[in-house]
Amino acid sequence: MSDGQAFWLHGVTRQLRTEQLAGLTGTGGGPVEAVRVGDLVAVVARVDPDGYAEAALHRNLGDLHWLEEAATAHHRVVESVWRLGPVLPARLATVYRDGPALHAGVHDRRVALRTVLDQLTDRAEWGVKAYAVRSADEATEHSAGPVGGGAGAAYLRRRRAALAAGEAARQAAAEGAEAVHGALAGLAGAARRHRPQDRSLSGVAEPMVLNGAYLLPAERAAEFAELLRVLGARHPALRLELTGPWPPYSFAGLEDSETEDTEAGNAETGNAGIGNAGIEDESTGGGGTEDGGTGDGGGVEAAGVDGGRR
Amino acid sequence: MLSPEQSRPGRVEVDRDGVERGLAGLVLTIVELLRQLMERQALRRIDQGDLTDEQIERVGSTLMALDEQMTELREHFGLTPEDLNLDLGPLGPLLPRD
Repeated sequence: MSDGQAFWLHGVTRQLRTEQLAGLTGTGGGPVEAVRVGDLVAVVARVDPDGYAEAALHRNLGDLHWLEEAATAHHRVVESVWRLGPVLPARLATVYRDGPALHAGVHDRRVALRTVLDQLTDRAEWGVKAYAVRSADEATEHSAGPVGGGAGAAYLRRRRAALAAGEAARQAAAEGAEAVHGALAGLAGAARRHRPQDRSLSGVAEPMVLNGAYLLPAERAAEFAELLRVLGARHPALRLELTGPWPPYSFAGLEDSETEDTEAGNAETGNAGIGNAGIEDESTGGGGTEDGGTGDGGGVEAAGVDGGRR
Repeated sequence: MLSPEQSRPGRVEVDRDGVERGLAGLVLTIVELLRQLMERQALRRIDQGDLTDEQIERVGSTLMALDEQMTELREHFGLTPEDLNLDLGPLGPLLPRD
């Protein structure tokens, strides 16, 4: 169904013509369109209103296959737009029931959207994950304690040592993650700490202890990578992983009361920070990074805004 | 609109081996939880000086034997230690990991 009039919002940007998006497929399989709303541009794809109405959307979001396709298409569009200029990525499954609703949705938030777009100009998001490296010899090393009693007592001593070592390792990993995040956030203009992913999601056997997102101007990327290398050497108990550059997903939540009930189950992955504060309340510019370590209550602004386009 | 088959998306495919393995996993998970609780309780009581050396030895042997049997049972059903854990969502895993 391509004659639908519902709009899936991929993101908001400043200047973009539909021709620049030629060949791009949006979520739902339709072409991507640039819809001008005042001095902003909403990047949308038309979707079948029946399939994307609240109830249907809710059901679809529970379908992992559907979700994967939707998220992949969404990301492809956001990334393409982001290569052309600053973009505020919309939260997955932000759907407007018709054109007027889309216009109103963007128009009502135009001041906040502009502010956040300014802050995101020429900036990219970098992700850093830290995994606690398991030192296998640690637990067994302690087993050679004072010998007394038989096999049973020895077993309990081993278990005690293993439990203590595990606890100490967890503690060390948590402190290391804290220190790494603090250092990275100090360099970045804004930082967010997402909930570490579960093993089933990360696909990594070692437990994740840091899942951070950092907003950086392009010229700081090399410095950031170098800092990460230094931190990795300083914290041998952690394995650090850098990903990016990404569109600034973590710093630009586009929230809408219409879509509140249909979020994709991973709401905690961070649309609650700067983006929201900016969008929900037009009087504040950039909200605070509540978990930042930047500590100045206005991470993005602190980084300086030059407003130039890439 | 939909045929009866399509309208039951939540239908579970029952296969005998799968059910047996799932049930074994669930039972072993509970047993493993109890085993770990007992182990910690034993260590606590040793710390408090409640137990004589002889009692410590007996408790230790029992827990060790239980540990070995758990491993055997697990392997019999083709389950990994990770399988004997439940993700309680925001509460985290049922058993501590590592």
